[in-house]
Amino acid sequence: MKLLTANRLTDGLVLWYAGGPDLSGWTEDAALATRLEDEAAAALLEDWKARETEVVAPYLVPLLDENTLVKREYVREHVRANGPTAGQTAFDTARQHQRGEVF
Amino acid sequence: MYQYDQFDHAMVAARNAEFKDQVERRLKGELSEDQFKPLRLMNGLYLQLHAYMLRIAVPYGVLSSRQMRTFAHIARTYDRDFGHFTTRQNIQFNWIKLADTPQILEDLAAVEMHAIQTSGNCIRNTTTDQFAGAARDEIDDPRPWAELIRQWSTFHPEFTFLPRKFKIAITGATRDRAAIRVHDIGLQLTDKGFDVYVGGGMGRTPHLGHLIRSGLPGEKLLSYLEAALRVYNRYGRRDNIYKARIKILVSALGPQEYARQVEEEWATLDQAQIDAPHAEIARIKSFFPQPAYADKAFDAAALDRAKAADAGFARWVRNNTLAHRRDDHVSVTISLKPTGLPPGDASSAQMDVMADAADRFAYGELRVSHEQNVILPHVAKADLYDLYRLLDQNGLSSANVGKITDMIACPGLDYCSLANARSIPLAQDISQRFADAELTDKIGDLQIKISGCINACGHHHVGHIGILGVDKQGEEFYQILLGGRADEQAALGVITGKGLSAEAVPAALERLIKLYLDLRTDETERFIDTVGRLGRDAFAGALHEPA
Ligand code: HEM
Ligand code: SF4
Repeated sequence: MKLLTANRLTDGLVLWYAGGPDLSGWTEDAALATRLEDEAAAALLEDWKARETEVVAPYLVPLLDENTLVKREYVREHVRANGPTAGQTAFDTARQHQRGEVF
Repeated sequence: MYQYDQFDHAMVAARNAEFKDQVERRLKGELSEDQFKPLRLMNGLYLQLHAYMLRIAVPYGVLSSRQMRTFAHIARTYDRDFGHFTTRQNIQFNWIKLADTPQILEDLAAVEMHAIQTSGNCIRNTTTDQFAGAARDEIDDPRPWAELIRQWSTFHPEFTFLPRKFKIAITGATRDRAAIRVHDIGLQLTDKGFDVYVGGGMGRTPHLGHLIRSGLPGEKLLSYLEAALRVYNRYGRRDNIYKARIKILVSALGPQEYARQVEEEWATLDQAQIDAPHAEIARIKSFFPQPAYADKAFDAAALDRAKAADAGFARWVRNNTLAHRRDDHVSVTISLKPTGLPPGDASSAQMDVMADAADRFAYGELRVSHEQNVILPHVAKADLYDLYRLLDQNGLSSANVGKITDMIACPGLDYCSLANARSIPLAQDISQRFADAELTDKIGDLQIKISGCINACGHHHVGHIGILGVDKQGEEFYQILLGGRADEQAALGVITGKGLSAEAVPAALERLIKLYLDLRTDETERFIDTVGRLGRDAFAGALHEPA
């Protein structure tokens, strides 16, 4: 299983693909990201690579069977999903979405 | 400080207009990301882990209160209310919107600043001693020379696409506070001119620079640099990014052969065409006068009374002030390393306070240091207590300059897309662990420097204790280096012992420090001296739990 992630062109913020044909089908909340089968994920990645006025730098994040990140990707994607772990970042994504950490 | 002439203004305005157009075309899809990326990087705009990051140059670290207020304005208006001061005398904003960038660059241009030269394989912002023009041990002021290099290098057509980025640092004092030996070119001003060191650098393969010329007259600086850069531009390895820095060329050729080629190249140059005429050097120098020092009656007894009544103030004066060329003034370092917060961050409110402090107590002038602190270079001793109280009310009075908690840490995996491990949370943990003021003072001078990957933005190679984050199958690990230093006796640290988990590092440092306190001859022997005397191996065991 995989997640598709990218940055929004206009503000650079991290987005997660949550299904749907256009940019409104992406979410800033990683908890809502769609779990994609590997083949579907690869095809979507190709689609979105071409849609550069919407998102930039899209890539796939591999998941283990239990829907958690594989260890190799863990810290980086955890930080991308939850916002910086360092202080003075009261704005981190997790808190914006009024919930605990994703993953 | 230097003020733009009409050429500077026109060049920055033209560049900003050009970039504004590029951003608009990118947003409309007329430019692809591949086409746009090099253009945005040439204007300091990166795409990082969470968002766009804008890196703004503070030329040789010199900043007016007005410029500092503009940083506060940018933090407040376009970012998440804070900015991050870096080891290259830059500031980085981490949450910038692409569409806002042209306006930000315009705001910056209004106070004579920009983000050009902060990325790409060009000559980057020349860095220098944060106490330039103020320190008592200064031989000559490096700022006019750094400004001369800025003017020569910013749009130098021949050096815009070097094999790799290029960093120059200058010190004009006997104590090297600019880490010149770990720069591509390090310049030491002496009373006979410049000593030129070439081929230093950190990153994957750290090197110390080699002295290739002594006593170079200032009037000849630019043509000599031009020759040095030309040899590098011609022979630097463009085929392999890891071997592209000048340090690799210099060590492959040998410093003597490199120096010979530079001299040969220099002899062929039309030096008079390149070197600034005497009048221009004099003009630039005239922008760096001493401030109109206030002759405030200074009552030493009153200062002593204030210190006696306020232990925090006494400690701050002891640790955060440096002797000034005038007896009635000092230079003050505002530590951006409060316990438990990310090193080098300042909120917009704090930036405004620092700007106000500069206007009220320091002739409107500030500096950024490569240790990620902010400096007020000239403060009348009579004003020290008022200044301290203002800073203290705003969380800016940490009295730990040069101490174990005055750490350098790169952004690491919390922000940087190149990182393998986090740096800031580790710095926060260490800072909590050594929060006790009495203990840190007892430990004395000690520099910890942390990088989240081999690129060494956090200067880990030259930390007395260096910490390098690495990735081991998806887990963060930290290698500890001992014995590095970035001063006039520059040395590279060596990895000591095996990597540690993040949780294990603070306790390991505690054991290391305890051993040092046991082993030092007396309290004047600094950690780095004890390591030098006994060797790193004497400390390796302490980094690991006793079995
Ligand atoms: C978060 C964005 C950053 C990125 C993408 C970045 C990128 C890099 C890269 C690629 C290198 C390696 C260059 C080489 O191979 O020689 C490097 C080195 C360096 N960076 Fe950064 N950096 C970032 C932030 C910083 C910060 C915040 C600082 C200061 C705190 C900094 C200061 C340095 C320094 C001093 C080096 C030294 C190595 C040398 O050239 O000898 N960088 N950086
Ligand atoms: S040392 Fe590595 S992790 Fe840290 S800022 Fe530099 S490139 Fe990023």
